[in-house]
Amino acid sequence: MDEYRVLIVDDEEELVTTIAERLQIRGIQAQTATDGETALKMIEANPPQFVVLDIMMPGMGGIEVLQRMIAQNLKIPVILLTGYGSTEQGMEGMKLGAFDYLMKPCDLNNLIGKIQEAVKNL
Amino acid sequence: MREMNEKEIAFIGKITAGVTHEVNNVLASIREISGLMTDILSITDETSFPRKEKFQTSLQKIQNQVQRGVKLTSQLNKFSHLSDNNKTDVDVNEIIEHLIFLTERFTRIKNIALQIQPIDKSFTIITNPLLLQMAVFNCIAYLLNNMVNGGEISICPGKKGSECSVSIICKGELLDKTSIFKDSSSSEELLSVQSIMESLDGVYELDESNTAIIIIVPGNK
Repeated sequence: MDEYRVLIVDDEEELVTTIAERLQIRGIQAQTATDGETALKMIEANPPQFVVLDIMMPGMGGIEVLQRMIAQNLKIPVILLTGYGSTEQGMEGMKLGAFDYLMKPCDLNNLIGKIQEAVKNL
Repeated sequence: MREMNEKEIAFIGKITAGVTHEVNNVLASIREISGLMTDILSITDETSFPRKEKFQTSLQKIQNQVQRGVKLTSQLNKFSHLSDNNKTDVDVNEIIEHLIFLTERFTRIKNIALQIQPIDKSFTIITNPLLLQMAVFNCIAYLLNNMVNGGEISICPGKKGSECSVSIICKGELLDKTSIFKDSSSSEELLSVQSIMESLDGVYELDESNTAIIIIVPGNK
């Protein structure tokens, strides 16, 4: 899975860095960002094959990042991470064009399955 | 004790919802960090890591506790949102199952099993979900206070014409069989049930022969 480059975005720094490390053990290149603004800059500068976006973040949330990606015609599959009370936003995100959404804490194998599924369809 | 008003209940609900969200993030981090340790152990040679198996077992126990924590916070979060609507569609069986999950600790202490025995499959009424749960909880608490350790409490929700009935039935030994319903008027729990029933336009009945408390609420209140 060396060809995959994934960007994981969540304001919980320990969470994203650990997920990234676990993905790297499995041969997936993973970068991290802890806010929407930084994530967008990273996506624009060097688009990854896949983006994992937390919906609830201080400042620019996951839905807004997704909207800006769509506005800039950045066709990158996005998985949204939802918490309690944001499942509806996950569904709203799918209507906007997100590939899928997962409830936090999500199972890593489940996330990898989604990444493989999305990248296969590219 | 002073009764809380709607704004105070909403405040508690909002704060609880926010905190459960944060606790969920903590649990997510613990899950990933212990997962990373498991990953590293799995690619570490047995000879270079003494008692590797013991560590793997302990990490699995951490993961199991995280799962338990996630379930608890998820149900607590759901509970915190019950005060969002004073009147909404309520799946009665689902709301009773939710209450059973939340009250398991109280019944476990007395070694009393709490279970739902729905009379009807999924059915919905329009009511105040928080008050309905509170009424059923007070009935459970009343029976618990009057039961010896062991036994069972069954909760049987069902349709009764346009109304909904919930029977809370004691299936265990009572501390004093003769006085459980005779002294009921002074019980704090049943006074609370009475007050809730007035708010819901419902009634409650004591069924002495079956050692049960029956709550009846309109389907569209």
